[in-house]
Amino acid sequence: MNSVWPLLITLTYVAIAMIIGLRARNGCAKNADMNSLEEWGVAGRSMGPVTLYLLIAAGSVSAYTFMGAPGWAYSKGVAVFYVAIYLAYLALIAWYFGPKVWQFGDQFGHVTQASAIADRYQSPALGALAALVMAIGSVAYAVLQTIGSAYILFVMSGGMIPIWLGVLSVLACIAVYLYASGQRAIGRTNAFQGVLMLIVAWAVGLWAVHSATGGLSFSGVFERIQTEHSEFLTLPGAGGDMSFSFWTTSIIVSMFSFMPPVWTQWMSASSARTIRRSATWLPTYYVVILPMVVVGFIGIFSLPELARADTVALEYAMQHLPVVLVGLLGAGTLAASMSSSEPFIHSVSLSLSKDVLQPVLKLSDGATGKLARLLILPIMFLVVAPLAIAEPGSLVMILLVGLGFASQVLPAFIGMFFWPRASRLGVMAGIVAGFLVTVAFTTLWPHPLGIHAGFWGLMINLPVFVAVSLMTPATNDDVVERFFRIAAPRGFTRLGGAKK
Amino acid sequence: MRRLIVLPTSRAGWGLLIAFVALVLAGTWPVIGLVNRATLVMGLPLMVVWSYLIIFACVAVMLIGNHIVERDDHE
Repeated sequence: MNSVWPLLITLTYVAIAMIIGLRARNGCAKNADMNSLEEWGVAGRSMGPVTLYLLIAAGSVSAYTFMGAPGWAYSKGVAVFYVAIYLAYLALIAWYFGPKVWQFGDQFGHVTQASAIADRYQSPALGALAALVMAIGSVAYAVLQTIGSAYILFVMSGGMIPIWLGVLSVLACIAVYLYASGQRAIGRTNAFQGVLMLIVAWAVGLWAVHSATGGLSFSGVFERIQTEHSEFLTLPGAGGDMSFSFWTTSIIVSMFSFMPPVWTQWMSASSARTIRRSATWLPTYYVVILPMVVVGFIGIFSLPELARADTVALEYAMQHLPVVLVGLLGAGTLAASMSSSEPFIHSVSLSLSKDVLQPVLKLSDGATGKLARLLILPIMFLVVAPLAIAEPGSLVMILLVGLGFASQVLPAFIGMFFWPRASRLGVMAGIVAGFLVTVAFTTLWPHPLGIHAGFWGLMINLPVFVAVSLMTPATNDDVVERFFRIAAPRGFTRLGGAKK
Repeated sequence: MRRLIVLPTSRAGWGLLIAFVALVLAGTWPVIGLVNRATLVMGLPLMVVWSYLIIFACVAVMLIGNHIVERDDHE
């Protein structure tokens, strides 16, 4: 590919994203202080339903949709659709929990997930622990997305932009608007990126189908796959490694991994009703996955000798599609990776400042707000950038352990929404037990019996959590009452607890 | 808080809970095993059609849920 158009289109996208991100702070009220945690952290709790819809949708659709998902279709087949299903289930989770989390934040002043945990269990140590361990998974996720961004720039420039320069360039762009506009920048850029991804995915998918079959119907692709490679149409997939148990437990573990950026997104809404309205329509966005997956299926018969499965969409585009679409695919993939990495970097900075450094250094809220903004720079350039440039082979392992751990925080949320008796020590014991099992079943004995390591962790975690909670003192009644007036207002009233 | 665990307090609430659980079951084993066939429906693999049926069923259930929640003025 010798044309400069793909690189120009991709760089134009970056420029537009930067302008949108920088201008996002204009949406603040005149007297709003961007150094406050409320403003920089959760956009003054101001986001409307459309922005929130695109914010959550674009945040959950990563570079995986444009690279990994076609790659999975190419190497495994329909097994890739577990992603679409669990993303729809995440919308159910947002619908139920999001409005309650928003009310916690609005009434108790929480701006992070860990601060809600610290408040519920009256334990800054538990909040700090949650913040630190969630940061491991979040940083690993941001690094993977940054590597994806740099790879796109490398390909689109025909190798002129090396990976190290791509990493630094993408992070510098994000740093500028994230520092300037915080969560507002994430909201506005994700809205733009979300729309762009949807258009690009369908344009590329339909063009690829037309070039492969002469028509615009997906049926031509799948009829050929059914005739020549029917193993791609069922589980356990062409690789034979996506059993029913792995499919099921992956979905369950993924849907119960309450990642910190999602919590922050819920708290950025203008009202509890806004979250419910956005969550209701959220699954409709995941039609974005279908056309890209179809490109992966086309690759099965048109690019049979591909060395790396996750390059199938890019390779096919470069060989068969017009340069403008190649450029749009580059822009769309970059949009997907940037829209997923920036919320994670933001939430790590916010949570480390609020839940770890503020209590340790006894900082004021004002100083903590300033620190949160500044902290994105060392996180990006001293942690994310070196890791992304080094591309350590164990990064996916770190990510798996990190995400496996994220699901181990489940007891903290059970105690927040369902079980008043949950105690601080019960949550801690459950997390530690679940984490150790998850680490062991990810590294030493990967996914025994074809069951996801995080699911094994939960099977140990939950009984330990219940047993230790019952043996140790519960949280103060007034705190429990405060939370459950929101989490279960009807149940609470009917049972005759003291009313405010 | 005297209740041991939070459960729905109305028939509509129980209905929603059952619908949510049914949706999760529809996308996981053993139900997913029933649609695990190499057949095409409307030109798409049965697993793909089933996946998107679940996805749009989630929207339908949440729309009904909105109606219930807003009718009861219950956040």
